[in-house]
Amino acid sequence: MDTFRLRVIAPDRIIFDSRAAEVILATNTGLVGILPNHAPLLTGLDIGILKIRTNELWSVVAVMGGFAMVHDNDITILVNEAENAKEINLQEAQEIFQLTQTKVSQADGRKENIEANLNLKRAKARLDAIQEGIKEGTAS
Amino acid sequence: MASSVACGSSLKMATFEGLSARSLGLRGAEPVGAVDTLIGESPVRRDGRGSSVVTAGLKDLRDRIATVKNTQKITDAMKLVAAAKVRRAQEAVVNGRPFSENLVKVLYNVNEQISTDDIDIPLTTVRPVKKIALVVITGDRGLCGGFNNYVLKKAELRMAELRNMGVAYTIVSIGKKGNSYFKRRPDIPVDKFLDAGNAPTTKEAQAIADELFALFVSEEVDKVELLYTRFVSLIKSDPIIHTLLPLSPAGEVCDISGNCVDAADDEMFRLTTKDGKFSVERETVRTETAEFGGVLTFEQEPVQILDALLPLYLNSQLLRALQESIASELAARMNAMNNASDNAADLKKSLSISYNRQRQAKITGEILEIVAGSGVTV
Repeated sequence: MDTFRLRVIAPDRIIFDSRAAEVILATNTGLVGILPNHAPLLTGLDIGILKIRTNELWSVVAVMGGFAMVHDNDITILVNEAENAKEINLQEAQEIFQLTQTKVSQADGRKENIEANLNLKRAKARLDAIQEGIKEGTAS
Repeated sequence: MASSVACGSSLKMATFEGLSARSLGLRGAEPVGAVDTLIGESPVRRDGRGSSVVTAGLKDLRDRIATVKNTQKITDAMKLVAAAKVRRAQEAVVNGRPFSENLVKVLYNVNEQISTDDIDIPLTTVRPVKKIALVVITGDRGLCGGFNNYVLKKAELRMAELRNMGVAYTIVSIGKKGNSYFKRRPDIPVDKFLDAGNAPTTKEAQAIADELFALFVSEEVDKVELLYTRFVSLIKSDPIIHTLLPLSPAGEVCDISGNCVDAADDEMFRLTTKDGKFSVERETVRTETAEFGGVLTFEQEPVQILDALLPLYLNSQLLRALQESIASELAARMNAMNNASDNAADLKKSLSISYNRQRQAKITGEILEIVAGSGVTV
């Protein structure tokens, strides 16, 4: 099966370093799917989910922003922080999401607004990741 | 009978008076001057006249020697633990290399594609500076010599400088020691208190980065400076101040006097041994920033991509500063514990000497008593 080398790297550790068959990125201009032998590409990533397909199984990772570089059948993704859907608890993710929503409505002033919105986006990404992971059957 | 007893006891008294505090090694003598600095030891009682009232009996001395021995074991162990942790801190830096290397490569390539004049990214905006956020990184625990004090002293110096220049400031304090320092001084404006933790992860760096990002982009502050201790040597502890925000689009790292270092030049520290003793080496690693061989399509505008890259760069800078700070703190602790162990050894030696002298004096006294007593009957 055709695969490409995929590396997902955070500032303090390497999150994924193996071969994959397909990867779906959430960029700030929409979803982008990458298959083997893709043309060279450089794209920024939004706070959202990253889906990796290895051997017909999709794993879902919540990423907190970064960028992806596709070059020579070798994909390097640098992220601020990433959490595998397997490690996220659905209940907890929902609670945190609701909490951040209330924080946004209570935010007062430009600085608090920026912070609250950032936290909301992150909580949503985590929630989306675990929900997507449950759908794909690779997380519970 | 009575006279012999009196004789004996007066002899005993004389024998003790002959042992001055100096010879007992319990006060004032030069080689034992460092003695009183041993952590937690209570100094010998001194009276106003300057001669110490030494009430240390044999049992007290014995107990003191046992205490010192235990303390020495602890300080020895702490030194070794600190040395082991420095290695771990080193590994953390090495683990962070793949990230920063790749980031720098892309940063370079993106910068080639854009002209720095039309960049309008929030994190790189240079504004007239009215207020500065000063991020002060200290440690969570003590017993590390002057480490935390140097950082805080430098912070006070910088705050005085800023006051002279008429620039307002706010502090972001990281580390329990710094937190308690600033909490005791309510006249210093502090924005946030955070703990340093033992092994800085990207989560902690992210939390700090969020705060700084919000402060800078909301225009509450116009510049963010980072004050931390670089791991340069095991003995010296020299805190430095870096300008963290605004970032330069090319990712240069600048200190407050404007000296900038290329982003591709990364310095890594290494704890090694030289001549049987620990020593620190720094090596500069230059990242290869060769072109990507032409056609690298940008999915978004180069400026948008830069917008996604720079927060990553901010995070990695912060993480690196935290790692260096922890390594410096551990080195300072190694040093402090080493000195403490040496002091304990000295103290134990002098205490043992005085203990033995007292013990022998007591025996001699008893013998003299017996001899004196038996002399009467002979």
